[in-house]
Formats: sequence, structure tokens, C-alpha cells
Amino acid sequence: MHNKIRFWSHLSAQAFIFFTAIFFLLPLGIANDNSQDVKEKNQDSAVKFRGFGTLGIARSSSDQASFIRDASQPQGISNGNWSARIDSILGGQVNWQLTNEVMLVGQAVSRLRYNKKRTPELTWAYARWEAMPDTSIRIGRLGADFMMLADSRLVGYASLTARPPADFFGPLFFHHFDGVDASITKPAAGGLARFKIFAGKTQEKTVDGQNIWDISGSQVNGVVADYWQGPWQLRLNFAQVKFSNSLDVSPLPDLLNSAGSILGLPSAFAAADALETKNTTSRFYSLGVVYDSSGLQAQGMANCIHHEAGLLQNSCAGYALVGYRQGAFTPYVGLSAWKSTARGKITGLPAVAPFDSVNFAFGSAMNLSHADQHTLTVGARWDVKPNVAFKIQWDAIRGNSQSVFPVRDEQAGWNGKTNVFSVVSDFVF
Amino acid sequence: MVNKLLRQFIFATMMLFSAGHAWADLVIVTSEATGISTLSKEDVINIYLGRYRRLPNALPALPIDMAESSEIKKKFYWRLVGKTLAEINSYWSRLIFSGQTQPPAVLNSSEDAIMRILRVPGTIGYIERGTYSKLDKRLVVVLELAE
Repeated sequence: MHNKIRFWSHLSAQAFIFFTAIFFLLPLGIANDNSQDVKEKNQDSAVKFRGFGTLGIARSSSDQASFIRDASQPQGISNGNWSARIDSILGGQVNWQLTNEVMLVGQAVSRLRYNKKRTPELTWAYARWEAMPDTSIRIGRLGADFMMLADSRLVGYASLTARPPADFFGPLFFHHFDGVDASITKPAAGGLARFKIFAGKTQEKTVDGQNIWDISGSQVNGVVADYWQGPWQLRLNFAQVKFSNSLDVSPLPDLLNSAGSILGLPSAFAAADALETKNTTSRFYSLGVVYDSSGLQAQGMANCIHHEAGLLQNSCAGYALVGYRQGAFTPYVGLSAWKSTARGKITGLPAVAPFDSVNFAFGSAMNLSHADQHTLTVGARWDVKPNVAFKIQWDAIRGNSQSVFPVRDEQAGWNGKTNVFSVVSDFVF
Repeated sequence: MVNKLLRQFIFATMMLFSAGHAWADLVIVTSEATGISTLSKEDVINIYLGRYRRLPNALPALPIDMAESSEIKKKFYWRLVGKTLAEINSYWSRLIFSGQTQPPAVLNSSEDAIMRILRVPGTIGYIERGTYSKLDKRLVVVLELAE
């Protein structure tokens, strides 16, 4: 009962934003309406329901850690057991063209979430206003456009690979935010340039191992610049998030503060501060290039993430992917890498009992977000029908024993290496 | 009623004159009222892929697509961007499900497309040249898509 009340209070906040957006945008659209155009629009159904999904099974060879798709997943796959856990997704979307200029969009997706459940989640719920064909304003729940292709990474059918490269998209646990974005597209330098800004607040929870991290209420904003010319697309992205809450690493901060008081050690207080993520900002910088022509697809992307919080390690990642269509088959090969930098912070506490256990716990916490690995990906996509694709993929992940952020449930013997074999079926309807 | 008869007449005319014409003459057309005489291939790509839907004279561009199963749609995208329909669907699934722009309106026949093009300035569509030349001089060919 209590959960139900919380669910409805949460939903009503989302609904409030959505309907407020409609309230303000609807009159704008109607005011600019052309009755002939509306009549034409009405001939093509004004309400469209569409869906997408992935049925996928995968196995990861290591029995020392579980492979996950991205940092939002609480559980992974391991020990050579086939599982549909990480890749299976089902989404439905309704688009309602209210007027020529205003469209309402709602999307719900069922996938493995922070709480190990697949309860459908409202991923998009917004009103889009296109006053002119080259401008767009969206208000409501929107996709977090933190990196190129990030806001469509749950739609397997749209991608060449079985899943988005985990080395690149792995650290992204944001999928949506409640707010606004605005974009404008103009011809420039023989091609097309698009500029977009966005701002809002997240309404998500994520997980780090066993600890749920409630990041709802965190402020996000960013800018995106795209450029298209012929088969080329170039994207520059900047986004930042200011966290509303700290990741729960209790009782470690209290222990450090107590030890600092007893021993009069400022370094212990500094170590406790480093564990706080509340009110710290993380910044995401990324660059993407896509070439797509006559069956040849190539993508190259790079990102760097900088965190103010000492608990979260700064990282950079990149990937290159090439696929070439042969009839209905598109074999592909990719290489990706993800590396973070350890902070090198110490507590300054003596290496004797009982402080040695605090030092150990601090060292483990500071290594929670460490990644140092690269992946070779080989696979093929088979377009069985114009709306169904099968994919098989093999990923050889090679990292070091400290690379624990990209996995779950790592054991003492984790050596950073595993092979993942995936068979997926993606569809849209 | 008159409208229905007119449609039937146009459709019958199309069938009569389009028979025997190869797909070699795939053309992009709009109406005279749109006020443009030509589009570059890049313009048509931007309009049909939803990147930029403005015509050179600043009028909003309203592209029309044919049904999924039609042969002409397959030829159109192959000639325009060298993509199969599966690739086009994959492209659109990314944009639709990330809440970006919408795909072109889909009509079931060239007859419906021509009716729409003639009625709404800014609408563009792809048809066989044979259909165009014998059908209606109010249509303007803005681009030819060669084999």
C-alpha cells in the first residue's frame, strides 16, 4: 500500500510536467494552424503506436565477475551460463500529432533496472513543438543526450552491434531527465549544422554493486553540436550533472571522521570528504564521427568524464567500429577501450589495527569506479525482414584485476579477462 | 463523389501510361504551386532523412513515402542513399524511439501521392516519369534519380 502511494505520488509529478507542457504548447500550435494541412494530417492517422524490443541471450566465460551492459544494471552474467538477463528489452511508444506543430510522445520500457526488476518505466513523456521545420522545443521527460547515440541505446534494431559498446556507454547510468531541450538546424559550410541545448533534473536511481544510489533531483544540462555532410556526421557533446545525493558508503565516512578527531589528522577528514558525491558535478565530454554510405558503416567515438567527487575516478574511453553489408548480412569488427585514473588518495591513518581495516575499506571504495580494459568485438547482423534482425557477437574483454567498475560481483581471483558470446533478435513494430 | 471519380480516372490513366516504363525514370516531383524548379540530391536526402525539411524558397518540405511493400520505395532509397529498406527502417527506429524527427507520411499509392502533391504546396514525392509525363502538367520534376 505504501509503495502504491509512493508510485502514484511519483507518477503525478511526471504527469504534472507533461500536462503543464501540453497546456502551454497546445495553444501555440493551434494558433498557427492551417486547416487544410490539418485535414491532410488527419488522413495519416494522428495517433501512432510503435514498439521495439530485443530478445537476447549471452554468456560470459569468467566465473570471477559478472559482465554487465552498463553501470545501471545490478546483476550481470557469469560462469559460462546463458542468460537473457542483460540484453532483453521491450519498449512501446505512442506519438500523438495534435496539430502540425505539436506532437505528444510517451514511451515506456521494460528492462533490467537498479532494483533487479523489469517493471516498465516511463522513459519519455513530452510535448514537442516545431514552430518552424528547422526548430524544435521539447518539454517533459526527455532522453539524456549525453553522448552520440546515447538516447537510442536501448533500441537494438537501430544499431549494428548486439549492444552498445560497454567500454564506451558503460559509465552512463542516465537514461532520461525531466526538463526542456531546444534545437535549431541550419545549412552551413556545404552541409547541415544542428545546435541543441538541454536542462532539467533526473528522476532515476542507479546502483553500485549492492548499494542503490538515488540520483533523482540531480541537475543536468548540456549542449550538442552536430554537423552532417554527405555520408559524414560529426558530433560534439558536453553535458554535466550535479548530484543530489551521495552514494552510500556508510559507515566509512563516520569512521574516518572519528579516527581523524581522535588522531587529529586532517588527511582523514579529507578522505571522508572525498567519499561525498552530494553537490559535486560530473562533466561528460564526447566526440563522435559516423560514416555511412553504400553498405559501409564506420563509427569512431571518444569521451572523457571528469568528476569533482574523489570517490569517482576520471576516465576516458573510445571505440572504433566498422561494418560492411553483404546482401542481408553485415559483418562487423570493433575495438574499444576504457581507462580511469586512480586518485591516489590516502587516509593518513597508521597501518595498524583498528585503523588498517579503515584504510582497506577506503582503498576499496576509492577503487569502486576503476576501469582499465579494452575489448575486441566481432559479429554479424542479419536483416531477416525489414523490421527484424538477428545478431551474433563475440567480445574479448581484456583488462587488469583492478578493473571492477565495468563488472559486478568481482571475486578475489578476478583477472579482468572474460569472453562474452551473444545471440540477439532485435525487432521493431 | 466527383472526387472519387476523378481519383479513379487518374489511377486508370496512370496504369495505362505507366505500363512498359522501366524504373530507370524515377523522378522527384512537386507541384507548380510549391514554387521551385529544382532540388539537389543532398536536399532530397536531408528532407527524406528528416535532417532538414525546408525547401530552397524557405517553404516547409512535406515528403511523402510509399508503402513498405512497394517496389518503387525500395528503388527510391537504393538510388538516393544506397540503402536497403532494412537500413532505412533501422535509421528511422533510432530517430523515432529517441524522440527526434518523424518519418515521411506514408500513402498507399502513387495516385494518392499525386493528389496530395497537387493539393498541398511544399509536398514532394517520388514517382515514375511515365506516370508524370502523361498525367498532369502541374507537376514539376525537381530531380531525376538515375539507375
